[in-house]
Amino acid sequence: MYSYFYDAFLQDRKYERDIALLETRLTDLGIMGKITRLALFRDGVEVIRDEIADGADTIVAVGDDNTLRRAIEAVGDTRTVLGYLPLSNKSVFAELLGIPTGVAACDILSARLVQDIDVGEINSRRFLHALEVDAADAVISCEDLFTVTVPGKASISVRNLAFPDDTGVTDPTDGKLVFVIRQSHFSFFGRKSEVSKIPFKRAHIFTDKHVNITIDGGEKLQGKEFEIRAIPGRLRLVTGKERKF
Amino acid sequence: MAKTGGGETVVARGVKVEGDFIVEGNIIIEGEVRGTIVASGDLQIGPEAKVDADIKAESATIAGEVRGNMRINAKLDLLPSSKFTGDLAAEILSVGAGAQVNGTVRMGVEEPPKPARGKRAQAASSASDEEAE
Repeated sequence: MYSYFYDAFLQDRKYERDIALLETRLTDLGIMGKITRLALFRDGVEVIRDEIADGADTIVAVGDDNTLRRAIEAVGDTRTVLGYLPLSNKSVFAELLGIPTGVAACDILSARLVQDIDVGEINSRRFLHALEVDAADAVISCEDLFTVTVPGKASISVRNLAFPDDTGVTDPTDGKLVFVIRQSHFSFFGRKSEVSKIPFKRAHIFTDKHVNITIDGGEKLQGKEFEIRAIPGRLRLVTGKERKF
Repeated sequence: MAKTGGGETVVARGVKVEGDFIVEGNIIIEGEVRGTIVASGDLQIGPEAKVDADIKAESATIAGEVRGNMRINAKLDLLPSSKFTGDLAAEILSVGAGAQVNGTVRMGVEEPPKPARGKRAQAASSASDEEAE
């Protein structure tokens, strides 16, 4: 049974046509299901959890990346399949997962190419994409085996599912997360960037002062000590063939 | 669909690693490492790197400074800029003109000169030996 969750911002009239097209296509494909409209002052996570408890086997987040984030939190450890119909042009997750924006996403959902994807967890909060740590002198302890000392000028990020760049492709199905540590050095020849890349399953970050960590480009977490771990294959996501991993 | 990248580990200049550094796949070191390095793939140590560690890897190319015992299963390349102090065992050894080697050198498939320093590294090392057998 498919359960669709429309984000609150879709109540804006400018989305009326998009939603009508979406619903027509879903009906044509034979995968129309129950629709729940999330409201501003209603806890979306709880609403989705209730629906899973009632027997929904596929949860579909309709909206933007924030909608998908809430759905990921709600799905938790239930192994419920999660689909995504992005209606925002600024969707990072849509691009990473190979899902087009708008009505074309219905065909990806219908194809139902389900991938088991790792999820990251920081201080009991889950993330799919990446963490960005504010610059600070930091010590990272990995797997209780070794420590990595990072100078304050460096930027630290933790990646699970990310766009390919100069550090290569991060694989969200390998059961690991990756620390990417960037530093800039100035020399006679100009500015040079140094990049460290350290895969890990479990780590702690200790900083010399309170820092902010941005989770999946949205929520911020503040503190001096953070526990991070990879949860292998926990999320069952419908992806497109154009996915970036 | 993009291909997934290998599990390469990189320690850049300015970053310091201490402890039992056990790595799956290849590893490139341009910074500092102290303790133990166990790599299932190839190890590259850059010209500005400083390594004070016992090392076990499949193959290695060294251009920087290394202190410790080293066991390389296949080929070890000591480039002209390298400075190595310790005992080493390798199947194939290449030493560039100007490379400094202070210690014993054993070639072929002999046992490593001395055990690795870290307990966990020893455990990981013996586990990988058992798998190989």
